[in-house]
Amino acid sequence: MSVRFDRVSVSYGSQTVLDAFDLAVEPGEVMALLGPSGSGKTTALRAVAGFVTPASGRVLIGGRDVTALPPHKRGIGMVVQSYALFPHLRVDANVAFGLKARRTPRHETVERVARALEMTGMAAYARRYPRELSGGQQQRVAIARALAIRPEVLLLDEPLSALDAALRSAMLTELARLHRELPDLTILYVTHDQIEALTLADRVAVMDSARLKECGTPLDLHRSPGSEFTASFVGGANLLPVSVSGGTVRFADAELQLVAPGLTDADTATLCVRPHRVGLGDGPNALRGTLAEVQWRGATHRLVVDVAGHRVAADVTELRDPPAPGTPVTVHFAPQDAVLLTSGPVREVARG
Amino acid sequence: MLLHGKAARLIAQAVFLVLFLPLFALPFLVIVVASFATDWNGALPSGLTVQHYREALGGDAAHALTVSLLTAVAASLVALLVGAWAALAAHRLRRAGRGVMDTLFTLPVAVPSVVVGLSLLVAFSKPPLLLNGTPGIVITAHAVLVTAFAYQSVSAALARLDPACEQIAASLGASPARVLWRIRIPLLLPSLTGAAGLGFALSMGELSATMMLYPPSWTPLPVSIFGATDRGSLFTGAALAVVLMATTLLVLLAVSRVRNRASYR
Amino acid sequence: MASATAGAVPTGRQLSVPRWAWTLPPLAALGLAFLYPLALVVWQSVSPDSGGHDLSAYGQVLGSTVFREALLNTVVIAASATAGCLVLGFTLALVIAFVPFPGGRALSRVVDVFLAFPSFLITLALLFLYGTTGIVNGLWTQATGAANGPLDFLQTPWGVVLAEITYFTPFVMRPLLAAFERLDTAQIEAASSLGARAPRVVGRVILPEALPALAAGGSLVLVMCLNEFGIVLFTGAKGVTTLPMLVYGKAILDGDYPGACVVAVVSVVVSVALHTLYRAVVSRTLPASGGTRAAAR
Repeated sequence: MSVRFDRVSVSYGSQTVLDAFDLAVEPGEVMALLGPSGSGKTTALRAVAGFVTPASGRVLIGGRDVTALPPHKRGIGMVVQSYALFPHLRVDANVAFGLKARRTPRHETVERVARALEMTGMAAYARRYPRELSGGQQQRVAIARALAIRPEVLLLDEPLSALDAALRSAMLTELARLHRELPDLTILYVTHDQIEALTLADRVAVMDSARLKECGTPLDLHRSPGSEFTASFVGGANLLPVSVSGGTVRFADAELQLVAPGLTDADTATLCVRPHRVGLGDGPNALRGTLAEVQWRGATHRLVVDVAGHRVAADVTELRDPPAPGTPVTVHFAPQDAVLLTSGPVREVARG
Repeated sequence: MLLHGKAARLIAQAVFLVLFLPLFALPFLVIVVASFATDWNGALPSGLTVQHYREALGGDAAHALTVSLLTAVAASLVALLVGAWAALAAHRLRRAGRGVMDTLFTLPVAVPSVVVGLSLLVAFSKPPLLLNGTPGIVITAHAVLVTAFAYQSVSAALARLDPACEQIAASLGASPARVLWRIRIPLLLPSLTGAAGLGFALSMGELSATMMLYPPSWTPLPVSIFGATDRGSLFTGAALAVVLMATTLLVLLAVSRVRNRASYR
Repeated sequence: MASATAGAVPTGRQLSVPRWAWTLPPLAALGLAFLYPLALVVWQSVSPDSGGHDLSAYGQVLGSTVFREALLNTVVIAASATAGCLVLGFTLALVIAFVPFPGGRALSRVVDVFLAFPSFLITLALLFLYGTTGIVNGLWTQATGAANGPLDFLQTPWGVVLAEITYFTPFVMRPLLAAFERLDTAQIEAASSLGARAPRVVGRVILPEALPALAAGGSLVLVMCLNEFGIVLFTGAKGVTTLPMLVYGKAILDGDYPGACVVAVVSVVVSVALHTLYRAVVSRTLPASGGTRAAAR
């Protein structure tokens, strides 16, 4: 079932936490809402669940306007960061809660609870209390509970952020498998972790300061981000201030070759190059500077090069013999690996 | 830690015990021992006896215990119902409304109990609400005094409750009434039983308002204790006091067992 | 699984009771059993037995020596007992929190149980200990052969003060212990490592942190001392009359209801004013239950 935000605004007092938010999620799609904390992504999710009432705008589920509908009439499954398992109920009763609330016949309830627990691998724990489960197990029960009511829309609010790194990656695989098993289920997934978003989502909506910045497939966002914010938040990027005039792009006195730039003259624009696309040594678009910093990261080295006062980061395969800081070095990047951003103020950001 | 020298620490502990023991431990111990004493005006009681208990538990005093128990159970249940209901309703209000409820329901704590007694006497001594002279007026007074405590403890527990549980329950299709009965009240159970226990204990020991109101046929235990000491029978008073303390402790113990079973985290 | 959908729950007719309406039943109960009687007390106080409505009862009562003595007694006793509770409670809480010794925490829990016992039991115990025929005086007469013991203060205001200090100190200790628990021990260790001696650490680090808790506990105890009845009644002293005793005496012993009502009104005004102050202090001290703003509803 589709989910559509139609210029949804939410505010607490004088503070606007979601500003004219527009987004359409297709049936069966996994949409990640990605953004830093305070960007409004959780608020958007809570507006779908019905926990917050928009000050203006509409929320539509399957084409039906549900803005004024209380949460218990929306038929949506939700999993939150803290899991919010009912501590006084056993695992099976937790999962059966939604079915009992809907007055599902007893035999069907039993059957569906068993299905949901099986699907999440928790069948063996049906008679346990939530406090007797580990974090990862509680997570699975929370998902089983949300799936038991057979929702057509599943909302996941930072579902993995309370787990440790190893468990997180295992659960990520599990969630991907669940989605393959339930291809019709529309999933809205809120996260601040770009890896989760890139791994799981069909499309990613990037949010910042209560607004939608950009929405696209993970590959598009990563290869050709439309804004500096997206570029730095999704994957990390070198953002270099360049000037454009007469069809040529110049950075620190060097003339750069770019693929199909379609340029209009501008005093300043931003060039986005991913650090792992920057190579050491001479090549196309060579930039000469001094090595400012060397970080060993196991399989790679990060070199930070000072080019005419701007810092350019390069992630290269581990060097057997890394140059010492202070030595002059040359870095380069291929024309097709750079994206020119012409909007927004120029900031220099290099994030890993 | 604050004190590093061993001597200094010992001194601090000694000062603590010197202050603590006579003030807190001794009084109740003295009452317990005195209740078994034939007479006591030296270092130790002159002799031991259970005569005071025989006196205390025969006839009137046994009645007083029953009266106290019935009053305390009735008052704490009424207070729990009213206080918890008020706290639950107030929790759903906006800030200003909640402030008004808080003020109104904690007011009985600020008003002297004697005045609560007096006000009930003034209000319910004439028809249509003639409660004066009936057990009802004592129970009403106790319920008023205890409601404030029930309200406060349920309010505090509500503030600590994780709203995510209720929201998830709602998203699963539970109506507000179902959320209340299946989620909120079970999660509040520990504080509800705690409030009931506290209310029971307070009502068992209530004297101020009771002195203003009690009809001769309905004299709770504290009034009998006062009667005994006022007559000069201090030792009988002590025996009655021990009965009062023991009953209160037993009930509190039972409540805390229920409470432990009801706490899930 | 999602194909056989439960979808949205069938929409029934919504029971539209506004939120504030749920407060009405408990408010009605409180109004009938507490607010209405209290209002009647105020009404009585301006309705003399002779009929009509005037403030003559106030003139009579407020002008009488008995009332002024009772007011003075009440304030002096409550203030002294509160001061005593603060000093004693602070000292005891300090030891329990910062000079650990085996069983200290358990003792503080025992103190909590005392809070469930009625206050007049303290007076009863003090009668056995320090009464004219009590243990201490008995020991003294046995040892010296004197006819009377040296202690005869229980029926003076000081007896009441002692009993109130004993009973109410735990009410000061509880918020203090909670405050000490929040206090960062690193702060104290840092101060100690900088060479500050214990009294200085207490004065400069602990006391400022404890002030809000002291203020909260102190104002609560002050209100409770002003309202205390059982302890005063049990001392059996004719000389010690406080406002609650005066209400009891006028209403029950003298049958002077308008007079009792006047004293009651004065007593309520004083206590409620102080209690309002207490609540203001507490709401400023305790961290507001914020942080859940977004999740609130």
